[in-house]
Amino acid sequence: MIALTTPYLWYTARATGLVALVLFTVVVSLGTFVANRIGGTIVGRFELNELHRSLSIVAMIFLVIHILTTVLDSYVSTGFISAVIPMTSQYKRLDVALGAIAFDLILAVWISSLLKLHIANRSWRFIHWFSWIAFATAVVHGFLTGTDARSGIGLVVVIACAAVGVAAAIWRFLGRPTRASGRTALSPLAAASPAPRAPGERAFPSAARPSRKATR
Amino acid sequence: MGVRRRTGLFILQVNPILCDGFGHCAELAPELVEIDEWGYPIIRSEPVSLGDTDVYQSARYAERGCPRRALRIQRLNEK
Repeated sequence: MIALTTPYLWYTARATGLVALVLFTVVVSLGTFVANRIGGTIVGRFELNELHRSLSIVAMIFLVIHILTTVLDSYVSTGFISAVIPMTSQYKRLDVALGAIAFDLILAVWISSLLKLHIANRSWRFIHWFSWIAFATAVVHGFLTGTDARSGIGLVVVIACAAVGVAAAIWRFLGRPTRASGRTALSPLAAASPAPRAPGERAFPSAARPSRKATR
Repeated sequence: MGVRRRTGLFILQVNPILCDGFGHCAELAPELVEIDEWGYPIIRSEPVSLGDTDVYQSARYAERGCPRRALRIQRLNEK
């Protein structure tokens, strides 16, 4: 195993881990925005969706740097295998295992999204639910493993990420909309609409259409 | 590079079973999609020329941007 002795690898691993956690918090929140039909007035719904995609790529880059630097660094003994297979790390076996689980799940979500055009929509959606588990695992991994996550700003960041994640999950569960939620202000008919509605207002009570909850 | 054929027609098709009325298509391709009162798309039914590159590009954005992948660009054979 390659072992490099510069301390900057270790610092990079710690810093990118924290940044990746923050980025994935934002990505999960943006995904909830899209799923809950936020946008259409000041910012377009498609723009939130594009931001969700683009930021997920940035987050993946940080995650890869985090894993590479952790593995290459000689300060703690982990290996490439323990980045994907849980319970194989000599350093903090259980804590690193959580990171490996999160990475595996994120990989599944990422690859299924890359293949989205070629796989069934139901499969993609099922796999995309794993991102919640991955996020929760990543937060716990960050708290347990993170050298900076036990005190000071690091602890504040981890707690904030966890709080945002929990809030997003509750909002996703409670705020899931009926099948459709009317025109957005950016859609061409909205201006010509005889009775303009407020952006969040539904055209009909949800009873007019079968509820999402019934079909899921 | 290479020669791109700009002849032929296309229509944008929605799979109504997959569509959940996110409304992204109307934002991405306003030339082709209107949203009905319940948030579902009404797509222009007459075919559009592939040479109409702005509209074709919008259609591609809508196809790619649909959260449910309910949209497909269907090319029609030129007669």
